[in-house]
Amino acid sequence: MRSKWFVVVSLLVLASFILGACAKAPAAPSQTLRVNLGSYPDTIDPQKSSFVNEIAHLKLMYEGLTRLDAKLETVPGAAEKWEYNSDATELTFTLRANLKYSDGSLLNAKRFEYSILRNIDPNTAGEYASITDDIAGAAEWRGADLAKATPEELAALKAAVKVQALDSKGNPCTGYDQKDCNTLKIGLKQPAPYFHTVMSLWVTYPAKQELIEQGGESWYVDPKFQLGNGPMVLSTLEPTVQGLFTPNNYYWRGTAKVNIEFRYITDSAVSFNAYKNGEFDIVPLAAEDLATVTQDATLNPEKMVYPGSCTYAFMFHQLKEPFTDQKVREAFAYGLDRAGWVTDVLKGLGSPTLTWIPKGFPGYDAQENRWGYDPAKAQEALAASSYGSADKLPEITATFSDTPRNRTRNEWLAAKYKEVLGIDIKLNPVEATTYTALTKDINTAPQMYILGWCADYPDPQNWLSVYWKTGGFGQRIGYSNPDLDAKLNEADSTVDPTKRMTLYAEAQKMLTDTAPVAFFWNNVNSYMVKPYVKGIQTTPMDSGWPGDIDPLSITIEK
Amino acid sequence: MTGYLAKRLLWLIPVILIVAGITFILMHNAPGGPWDRDLSSRQVDPTAQRLLNEFYGLNKPLWRQFTAYMVGDTNTRTGKWVCGLVCGNMGPSYRIRGMSVQQYLFNPPPNRSFLYSKFGYSIRLALLALAFAILIGLPMGVISALKQNTWIDYINLFIATVGISVPNFVIAIFLIIIFASTLHWVSIVPLSWDEFNVWILPSIVLGFGVLARTARLSRATMLEVMRQDYIRTARAKGLVERIVVVRHMIKNAMIPVVTYLGPALAGLITGSFIIETMFGFPGMGRAYVTAISQRDYSMIMGTTLIYAILVAVANLSVDFVYVLLDPRIKLTE
Repeated sequence: MRSKWFVVVSLLVLASFILGACAKAPAAPSQTLRVNLGSYPDTIDPQKSSFVNEIAHLKLMYEGLTRLDAKLETVPGAAEKWEYNSDATELTFTLRANLKYSDGSLLNAKRFEYSILRNIDPNTAGEYASITDDIAGAAEWRGADLAKATPEELAALKAAVKVQALDSKGNPCTGYDQKDCNTLKIGLKQPAPYFHTVMSLWVTYPAKQELIEQGGESWYVDPKFQLGNGPMVLSTLEPTVQGLFTPNNYYWRGTAKVNIEFRYITDSAVSFNAYKNGEFDIVPLAAEDLATVTQDATLNPEKMVYPGSCTYAFMFHQLKEPFTDQKVREAFAYGLDRAGWVTDVLKGLGSPTLTWIPKGFPGYDAQENRWGYDPAKAQEALAASSYGSADKLPEITATFSDTPRNRTRNEWLAAKYKEVLGIDIKLNPVEATTYTALTKDINTAPQMYILGWCADYPDPQNWLSVYWKTGGFGQRIGYSNPDLDAKLNEADSTVDPTKRMTLYAEAQKMLTDTAPVAFFWNNVNSYMVKPYVKGIQTTPMDSGWPGDIDPLSITIEK
Repeated sequence: MTGYLAKRLLWLIPVILIVAGITFILMHNAPGGPWDRDLSSRQVDPTAQRLLNEFYGLNKPLWRQFTAYMVGDTNTRTGKWVCGLVCGNMGPSYRIRGMSVQQYLFNPPPNRSFLYSKFGYSIRLALLALAFAILIGLPMGVISALKQNTWIDYINLFIATVGISVPNFVIAIFLIIIFASTLHWVSIVPLSWDEFNVWILPSIVLGFGVLARTARLSRATMLEVMRQDYIRTARAKGLVERIVVVRHMIKNAMIPVVTYLGPALAGLITGSFIIETMFGFPGMGRAYVTAISQRDYSMIMGTTLIYAILVAVANLSVDFVYVLLDPRIKLTE
């Protein structure tokens, strides 16, 4: 009997040892930039992706008709030029001649026609598909009732979408191998002079139709189907372990000088230790590690902290008392110690703001200084409100997603408001997804809560019209301002760039006039980058790692 | 024995039904759904949400979603019958687009064996962790009992208490700082899971809690057995101490330990979440934990059912090990 027991244990051990050990992986190329990206993406299908980590992969492998440069200006990508018609309802792209995919095969305008239509196609059900709804016919096809519509009706809806690839004679292109198919014409349902910037987004990336069809629903996990036109080529993808990208020799701007390796460690303490141990070249820098870094003479110069693309605001529900009263909102905006928040709570990883469009983005208003922290004015505003004093206010509840970090943050805020205005704010922590679900509906949206908006693309239209026009995201807190709507409609359809920016600036001032919410802080991107990594260009819109705007300029000089 | 096995396996059917029913009710009662995003990202617009609900059948009444999951339903788009759990189809994941739950958990990357699927990785790590826990934990407990109230016992108790009370992510950081950052014996983040030495740290971290419990449990049961009459009888018969300890004490003390180790193995297989966030380990623990906050309904159902089946199978195996340990136990009807 004794021997039986030992046999069981030794077999168990032996089995696990054999199962654990196997053939060695091939050696990595010498010049590889090792980036810890954090979470592994759920999907890498261009037309179905929406998260930063997903976009980080796509941006390396593909390029849109336009692209953003390090100054966040929209510059030519796969298209060498574009032009709008006089009222900006039609946008015509001209592709570069002899564009190629990473395997040397032809990339013509028909490919972009396919990918844009695939993004709109209701069968794709892309989570970011609404971003191209400005295209004439797009919203109608995408919103079709697939259960009821006949195939003929659906075909008619598809045909009505104004996206068409044309050859040199102006005729519709016939196929993907047609060499002179270099023009893409997009009809817009209303003037949209910002739309060329939308065309830089990942949802338009030209993944090949035949490969998507060949690979089936989960085609995107297999590098052999991820054939792109971007600066890098996906060479291996081992889920949650490693994604390795090598330079694309056919990329029109030139060849990258390093391979890029993504790793997926979500635990910031491990990631930071691995960085210190020389296992990573770039890792995200968490607030917890900032103090360690700042006090360390070697590590401090390696930190890279720069503005991000999000604005956070204290949202007040405009239809729920007491925030129906503008004076109460003003009191809360004046009473918000933004600088204290950034120093004490965010530990410096953020910057206080009084505007909606953040610094570094077109449309940023450097002059805006209304509703800044001022306890005396806060008390005055509260006294001038219809309630008159703090004890006459109805119960105020701040709702937030329940994490230890958010608890501390909201306790800090409640204590501050108690100090400045003498108001007792009740805290209401709720489970994360429940919180999201609550904030999505005007009826269930909490009385007050913190919410952010991050740019989809760098244009004031995305900040102001998409968010604050009636029917947009701002309506969830009951915000609807017909005057602002009119101003934004005018700005959206103005073709002249200078006049357009003036109109947006006026609109942003109108938004701030009534203090609908208290603009709070902008996020920062914070990373650790090894000193031998050179040529990193950063923008507020970096997806998951610094330098993704232009991998070509990155070198490793060890 | 075969009859017993068949009977126990048949019991799995009601177990699965009940677990599935309870899980289904609980997850659909939680507010929000799979298209509610973390608030830092752009939310899915109503049209896309409607399309996605239609595509995955989430617009149907709840009872029908449940029967569709368990038995099957006709797809509204294609009009074709899609068989459910009875055919081994655990449904499409709502977050990992285009993949079914069974594909995600059980399919290895191209040109690799089943051992390289997420489930395969988790099983391998769990076995290693279990081996570590047994190989170290059992002797620790036995020696502690034999040398009760000596310094060896105190050291072992200290280690066991640390193992039970300190969360494994703290232990992980501790080990990383010692073995990777200071001694440079291993790298923190493995470049490849094909090499054996990278498995050492993760299996220690994962198995430490089980090790501690095994040590405490075996110490306690050993102490109990040591005071039994038959031990005195064995000694009185003039048996050598080694035989008394190994054949009479340890074997009898093992029964509660084995009872604990069965379900513990199931927990180790599904419980590698921390290891995955820390070492990038490609196991199934992440799916298990993130599916809940993502409201990835079919993934929640799938992972919960797998866990239930693993526990049931582990308990069944424990019954078979009893027979090895105690000849008085017979597996009969």
